[in-house]
Order: sequence, then C-alpha cells, then structure tokens
Amino acid sequence: MRKLLAWLLWLWISAVIAGAFLYAPLAKGFIGQSSRILFFHVPMAWVSFVAFIAAGVWSLRFLYFGRQPRHDRAAAVAVELGLVFGVLATITGSLWARVMWGAFWNWDPRQTSIVVALLFYGAYLALRSSLEDADQRARLSAAYAVLGLVVAPFLFFIMPRIMFSLHPQSVINAQGKVEMESRMVQVLLAGSAGCTALFFWIHNLKCRLLAHAERKSALYE
Amino acid sequence: MWQDTSTWAAEALAVFAKEWRCEFRTRYALNTLGLFAFTTLVVVSVSLGPLGVSTSQGTAVLPVLLWMILLFSAAAGLPRAFVQEEETQTATALRLAATPSALFCGKLLYGMTLTLALEALVTPVFVAMTSLDVKSPGLLAAVLAAGGYGLAAGSTLVAAIIAQARSKGTLFSVLAFPILLPLLLIAVELTRHAVAGDPADVALLQLLLYDGSVTVAGFMLFPVVWNP
Repeated sequence: MRKLLAWLLWLWISAVIAGAFLYAPLAKGFIGQSSRILFFHVPMAWVSFVAFIAAGVWSLRFLYFGRQPRHDRAAAVAVELGLVFGVLATITGSLWARVMWGAFWNWDPRQTSIVVALLFYGAYLALRSSLEDADQRARLSAAYAVLGLVVAPFLFFIMPRIMFSLHPQSVINAQGKVEMESRMVQVLLAGSAGCTALFFWIHNLKCRLLAHAERKSALYE
Repeated sequence: MWQDTSTWAAEALAVFAKEWRCEFRTRYALNTLGLFAFTTLVVVSVSLGPLGVSTSQGTAVLPVLLWMILLFSAAAGLPRAFVQEEETQTATALRLAATPSALFCGKLLYGMTLTLALEALVTPVFVAMTSLDVKSPGLLAAVLAAGGYGLAAGSTLVAAIIAQARSKGTLFSVLAFPILLPLLLIAVELTRHAVAGDPADVALLQLLLYDGSVTVAGFMLFPVVWNP
C-alpha cells in the first residue's frame, strides 16, 4: 500500500512538472518564461509554512497532551524538512527576483519573513543539538517551537502590511479573487498538493526511521 | 481566592526584590549593560563624525542604530537572570520556593525595569550625541516603553530556555533574535515616525499586540520550561 502511494506521488509530481512547462500558459506582465517558477516556488514556500505550523502543533501536543516522544520526533523532523523547503523557496524566489526586480535580494517583506523563519528553524536545531538529556531536549525545544508559533503571525501577516511589497499576490489576495488563468491555477494547486504530500511522505519515513533507531539503541542499553 | 492572589503577588514581588538586591551586591548587569551601551554609543557617534548626518539620513539611520544598541545591551545583560541561577545552583531552591508563574512575573519585572533604566540612560545621551531632532517625544517614550517591555519579555523566556543548555551565551543570541526581530522591525518603524513627527497609526497597536502575545506565551510556557 505504502509503495503504491509512493508511486502515485511520483507520477503526480512528474505530471505537475510536465504541466508547468507544457500545459500552463505564461502569465502576462512577466519577463520571458520567468512565471513558470511560480509552480515550484509557491508550493515550496507553502510547505515551509505548513512545516512551521505543524512543528508548532506537534510541540503543543507534546507539551500539553501526554508528553509522547513521537510528537517530539514529529516536530523535530517537521523543522528539518521546513528548513529544506524554506531554503529551496528562498533560492527559487531570489532567482525570480533577479529576473523581475533586477536583484537577487532587496528585503521585500516576504524575503524578510522567510529569512526570519529560516533563522528560527536554525535556532531550533541549534537548541536541540546543545541539549543532551532527551526529556529536557524535547521539553525545551517544544517550548521554543510554541513561542515561534506565537510570534509567526507578526511575520507572515502583520509585517507585510506595514511595509511596501512588490511580491505578487496572485492566489491569496485581499479581494479573495483569483487573478490567474484557470490552467495556471490547476497546475499550481496540483503542485501545492503534491509538495504537501511529498512533505508528509518524507516526514513519515523519517519519523519511522528515528523511532526505529531509538528502539534499537534502547535494546543495546 | 483573594489570599491566593495576594500570596502569588507577594511571591512575585519577593523574586523581584531578590533580583535587585543581588544586582546591587555586585552591580554586574548594571555595569555591563551601561558600559556596553556607552561603548557602542561612542563608536556610533565617533563614526558619524562631529557633524553627524543630515536630517533626512538621520531619520532613516539613527532609529536603527538606537535599537541595535538597545538590543545588544539587553542581550548582554538579560540572560543572566536565569543563567546565574543555574550556575550558582540556586535554581532548585527557587523551584521549591516559588510558584513558576509568580517567579516568571518577578523575573519579567526585573528584566523590564532593567531595560527601562537602560533606555532612560541611553536614549537622552544618544539623542544629544547624534543631535537627533525628535518631533514627537511622547511617541518616542511610548515606543521605548512598549518596545523595552517586549524586549524584556521575549528575552526572559528565551533566557529560561537556554539556561539549561550548554554554550549558553551564543545560544541566547541565536534563539532570541528570530523571536525579537518582529518587535525590532515594528519598533524601528515607529521610532522613525516619532523622529519625523508622523502619526503612530496601527504600528503602535501591533507593538502592544506583540507585547501581549509574548506575555501570554511566557506565562503559558514558563511552567513547562522551568519544571523538569
């Protein structure tokens, strides 16, 4: 069953990649083919956001609902993957910014918030690596992740409002309207779904791997 | 119920008084923070030269420098509140003696008064040395109060987290900055408004909202952080 799902995921993502280049039209007002990066950049940025929330929620569950080690592992793995997807979203975003805005980096509010999110992920992992005792590590890093969850809305929702942004608001904008060609929306949504599934698939694999390693080391003790 | 509240408040005040009593024994934090702030202030002022910067540049640059000085001074002094408890092994006694939330409240009050004292010392000197022309001093005072409180609240909670880890000093900056960055960005923006004489609009509300969220998170998370 798991194998079948993995193959389905592979097919789905391949279809999205093919669709991004062959099926979806180019967006108006963008230089050359640059709008195609949307189908990769947006899903990755979305997944790094999902990972952030997921890490916070798993940490909350760990702290207040029974202190189960599997929730701690899940939060830690979500942060690691969030870091990977966040770096990829930053790279694709700044490549696109070079084409459209003329510079890789210009501290657009979106760029600011992703950098702070990456700093947060890095800090979380640094905290984990400097705590030796497993219970203490789980407890303190969960508390830090929840603190991050409390501060995150200021970065994602409030900051971009007080600062001027050039970032396109194609999907989620203030009017709640979709200002995109429908074929683009289809590929984008399929890509986001595929990327989210990819995140949870790797997350599941990694958590099982960690649980296995812990059982093994418990056996040898 | 009233008695519970008064015991809780008494505990919080006792922790607060204890912090300041310990502080006045060595004056470690006051000396470090004061000298650190003064040194960076001198560096800023000397580098800008005897004439300073023009008004338009000053409005853009000087608020950033002021908050950098405040941030790094706070990072030099605030983590001590918890690090010292672990180092002198008084943390266990404190765990037995005080309710976690009262303890957090006391430590937070200490951090807040320390930060506000620092701001009260640094800001006038900074304004004088860089000949910064503040159009609305009232707003500046409000931003310094709200920003200083947020700085203290965020730092106190992060200090409680890192006090139990290895490599405390470097870890504090690494952990505190992602948490404090939204506060700093809003505070810098507001200080610019205060210097230029613009109205505060929603940013002050956002700053207060940040203070409120971090305080609630602090009271919620501190018991879990503190008790093993």
